[in-house]
Amino acid sequence: MSRTYDLVHRTRYSYDEPVTGSYGRAVLVPRDQPGQQRHAVEVTIDPLPADSAEHVDYFGNTSTYFAVTTPHTELTVTARSRLTVDRVQADLARLPRAAWSDVGRAVRPGGTLETNGGAHLGAPPSSDPTDGIGLVALREALLPSRHVQLSPEVRAWAEPSFEAGRPLAEVLADLAHRIRTELTYKSGSTTVHTTQVELLAQRMGVCQDFAHLMIAALRMHGVPARYVSGYIETVPAPGKEKLRGADASHAWVSAWVPGAGWVDIDPTNDAFVDERYVVLGWGRDYSDVPPLRGVIFTEGSGSRLTVSVDLVPSGAEPFA
Amino acid sequence: MSDVLSSPRPRADAGGPADGAAVTDRVAGDDWSWLPEGTPAPDAVALTAARRQTATLLDDRGVTYGTDAPGGRSRDWRLDPVPVVIDEAEWSALERAIAQRAALLDAIIADLYGPRTLLADGVIPPEVVLAHPAFLRAVDRLTTPGPHGLVLTATDLSRDPSGAWRAVADRTQAPSGAGYAMVDRRVIAQSMARVYRQTSIRRIGPFFHALRRALDAAAPAGVRRPQAVLLTAGPWSETAFDQAYLASMLGIPLVEGSDLEVREGRVWLQGLEGSEQVDVILRRVDSEWCDPLDLRADSRLGVPGLVRAVRAGTVAVVNPLGSGVLEHPALGAYLPRAARVVLGEDLALASPETWWCGDAAARSHALAHLDELVLKHTTAAQERAVLGWTLDTASRESLAAQILADPLHWTAQERVDDATSGADGGRPAVLRTFAVGQDEGYQVMAGGLALVAPSRQRVVSSSLGAIAKDVWVIAAEAEASHDPWLLTAADEPLPRQLVAVSPRTAENLFWLGRYAERSGDVVRLLRATVDRWYDHARRPASPGGRALGVLLESLDAREPASWARSGATPATTGRAAGQDGTPEQESTQRHLRSLLLDPDAPGTVAWSVRRMSEAAAAARDQMSNDMWLPLASMERALEEEAALERAPGSTTGLLPVLDRLLEALLAVAGIESEGMVRDIGWHLQDAGRRVERSLYVVESLSATMVTAQPENVDAYLLESVLIAHESSITYRRRHSARPDPAHVLDLLLSDTSNPRSLAFQVDRLREDLAKVPSRLSTDARDRLVADIAEIVAELDVRSAAAVLDGRRERLAELLESVRWRLRSVADEIAVAHFVHPTTSRALADSWGLT
Repeated sequence: MSRTYDLVHRTRYSYDEPVTGSYGRAVLVPRDQPGQQRHAVEVTIDPLPADSAEHVDYFGNTSTYFAVTTPHTELTVTARSRLTVDRVQADLARLPRAAWSDVGRAVRPGGTLETNGGAHLGAPPSSDPTDGIGLVALREALLPSRHVQLSPEVRAWAEPSFEAGRPLAEVLADLAHRIRTELTYKSGSTTVHTTQVELLAQRMGVCQDFAHLMIAALRMHGVPARYVSGYIETVPAPGKEKLRGADASHAWVSAWVPGAGWVDIDPTNDAFVDERYVVLGWGRDYSDVPPLRGVIFTEGSGSRLTVSVDLVPSGAEPFA
Repeated sequence: MSDVLSSPRPRADAGGPADGAAVTDRVAGDDWSWLPEGTPAPDAVALTAARRQTATLLDDRGVTYGTDAPGGRSRDWRLDPVPVVIDEAEWSALERAIAQRAALLDAIIADLYGPRTLLADGVIPPEVVLAHPAFLRAVDRLTTPGPHGLVLTATDLSRDPSGAWRAVADRTQAPSGAGYAMVDRRVIAQSMARVYRQTSIRRIGPFFHALRRALDAAAPAGVRRPQAVLLTAGPWSETAFDQAYLASMLGIPLVEGSDLEVREGRVWLQGLEGSEQVDVILRRVDSEWCDPLDLRADSRLGVPGLVRAVRAGTVAVVNPLGSGVLEHPALGAYLPRAARVVLGEDLALASPETWWCGDAAARSHALAHLDELVLKHTTAAQERAVLGWTLDTASRESLAAQILADPLHWTAQERVDDATSGADGGRPAVLRTFAVGQDEGYQVMAGGLALVAPSRQRVVSSSLGAIAKDVWVIAAEAEASHDPWLLTAADEPLPRQLVAVSPRTAENLFWLGRYAERSGDVVRLLRATVDRWYDHARRPASPGGRALGVLLESLDAREPASWARSGATPATTGRAAGQDGTPEQESTQRHLRSLLLDPDAPGTVAWSVRRMSEAAAAARDQMSNDMWLPLASMERALEEEAALERAPGSTTGLLPVLDRLLEALLAVAGIESEGMVRDIGWHLQDAGRRVERSLYVVESLSATMVTAQPENVDAYLLESVLIAHESSITYRRRHSARPDPAHVLDLLLSDTSNPRSLAFQVDRLREDLAKVPSRLSTDARDRLVADIAEIVAELDVRSAAAVLDGRRERLAELLESVRWRLRSVADEIAVAHFVHPTTSRALADSWGLT
């Protein structure tokens, strides 16, 4: 089923003292890719930036640069887009059955992908055994990164999911399920500096933490995994009207399942990603694709940040 | 003792070459056999003299390495006058090999930030690059205009046991040392002049021409007269001297990140008058620190938006951002393969044998041979090397565990210095060579920078006290000239357009003027006081003794706020107000000595001289080379006297030191007035001097003349005041009688022909400030100066000298009204002209706000 959305993501900073310069970088333009077609997109910044530019980054995401050099006490970055999502949700029963340990053996340096072209994974000899991803990108998705450190604590937590010979697809579903059931979602319970070890100790976090935890578990078992930044459409409780601006930035996991390519799974909601999700971009972890980051010049120290996201079926009235 | 780097040659007394002679012969003693026939080798006496002269010449040029911290003293650069000597025949092969290696690294970096074919094809294991912290994804696909991405490379070479050269490290991030190599050559050309003149030595000057050409070639297309700058981390960076010296060699301004700004996708150098576009940035700041927006968010050394400007193609950064990845020691294992794939050639200059621990087989080898390998870890900001053979069993086991836990970041290398440095008492040594990209390939500096480890050091590093040597490549045929002074004239590129002085430089020059003047003022006041001390210290109640008391007070009289440029606290005098003469006398004596010599207390001469040197060093690219002579001489005079540790009560030695200081300070003033172009920088430096001297006049008169003294005390006191203001001779020429307060005030406040008077300073200050533009309003500044001028013009010395109830109240008011205005002028100058970096910080993160 395909759905067409209007998407508005607004970030507003208010400062106590004037800011004389604000240099920013945003990853707020949804990717245009199979399963998700972008029809129109516009990123506006208020005050009007003296300079702005767009480029495609290392991971293929669209990155927006802006520099506001007029003094201001409020900065608003608004990204609007219209897109159609016709992604088919992965079906556990139909995903390839390669065992997680075979995937690990295939990808690692000197592994079977290099030596026998992935034939053991069931790839036909003529096709690309990396599903078009390329061995370099797969190997990169195994490396630790700033927010994904491979610790004994994560290994111990992940162990029960990695039974010998278990198909990778099942491992993915199991990890997502365990995160959903064993950890509590609580807004504000972590910061960008919280580690996976701390997360496991407090058993409480937000979607970025859950994605990082699952990525760490996969990478340390040799499974290529990356971090996806995007949105999920929220559905109001029965009988309630949907609140404007109440949708959310979201983050989930993408793992390589040989024969199926990158498979997206959302540990926060214990589900494979479907047409309710919009992909902004991906990277090794959060630090590669924060929706917005920047440097400001100001004598003041106080600032307030509000974020509102509206992901609504096209035709509904977008919020102002 | 000879070095392990020079070309081996049979020794006359070795009885002809035998097996292994090439190695062992290098070690036994200084080898001068390369000298032309008939030239006697320098004897021990000559070498001792040369060592001493080398140290003095380095000192006189202000050549330093490293700093402890802001405010700390840099270490001296250590240079051995005996050069490393390499034959032309050996050098020409080495030169080709260095150029090939640079070309290979250039091709590799183009691939790593481009198609990454070398990774996809497995020529280099992807993890070597992808897990390296210096591989910067934010600069992927950025290209540099010009024939090469990598413009300047340095390669550190050692000889292996067979005498063959090995590249122990590649420096591609921001190579240092070319400036040291040049200054070393200039110093050695003098201290070893006799030998130097007898030898045909390849010149290194042309290398700097080539570098300047390469910077121009790197400029964005269409720029006709490229403006290049050298981006420094600041005067506290370890190689600050090297950076500043290189900048002045190249004739380009030395700038800090805060001097630059990205606007409209271009980089601008902020000047006092306005901004100039920058086309090429030769950076000495590591890539990661160059842009807090796209690279390290916590960097204060960079320029937000720089990556954007590079991507827009409006500026070239040299070496390109991200080039540090080539310093990865593990690459050594893959360069031979890469050379064949990329260049279709065999690698001429190999690394030591290398095992990257991310590779299972290599890791096994490394773990099995830990006790004979050098282990390098590559995640930390600084490369860490562990010498396996120096570890005990427990440390080795712990190292093995660290490697197994984090194999991607460990690299093992065979030790190179073994045979030459082990048994024979030779020391490990490294030859740093330099290559610069030209239209056709790379040009190699004909020489370089040799570093020899101090005794018992196993690692060669300047930060560990390595001693430098000049490197002489003996030319087969004499070049046109090898005179050191012709070399200066011929090899230094002419400066191009004069660049607007940056606010940071302006500030340093202003404070250089202030500290130079302040040092002189305190020196003069101390001289006048010490003079009275000798005659009257023992009779504090006598007229002369009472005058001395006032002078001593006046040394303390200046307000703390006026002493320090920022944040420093004033000298704690520790002077006890004892009733009985002895303790007070003794503590006062200590006080006089410490006012001269205490390096840590703001307000002392030693402290001001130090600040003066710092301000000069921070604006080194603007300084006359002559400036370092008097600065070095002052530091020496103070250090020598401080080292004497005289008895606390002694005033012995103060006057000779004060005289030496005064002589040097007069030299500084002479360089300022006769040796500097009258540009904005000069006017600011002079303005600093005028503000400071005005304050000195006002504050010393407040301390000595507001409280009226009996006539017999004034006779001594006013005489001293005139001496301290360099005006006693003028006074005596004009007035025959003993000093009269009104006449003294006239000469020191109102007389516009006296270069020591307040009126004279105010005139000069007005002239100076009129020449210093600002983008901001200078109204407040100019109004204050005009007010001071008016007060001085309307001053009636008779009424100012009038005494009521023992005080000159009118004078006090007048001096105070001038004093606060002078302070405000200094503040307004800072507001109008200096850089006041607004604090920058990262935008709050939206983590979890979902």
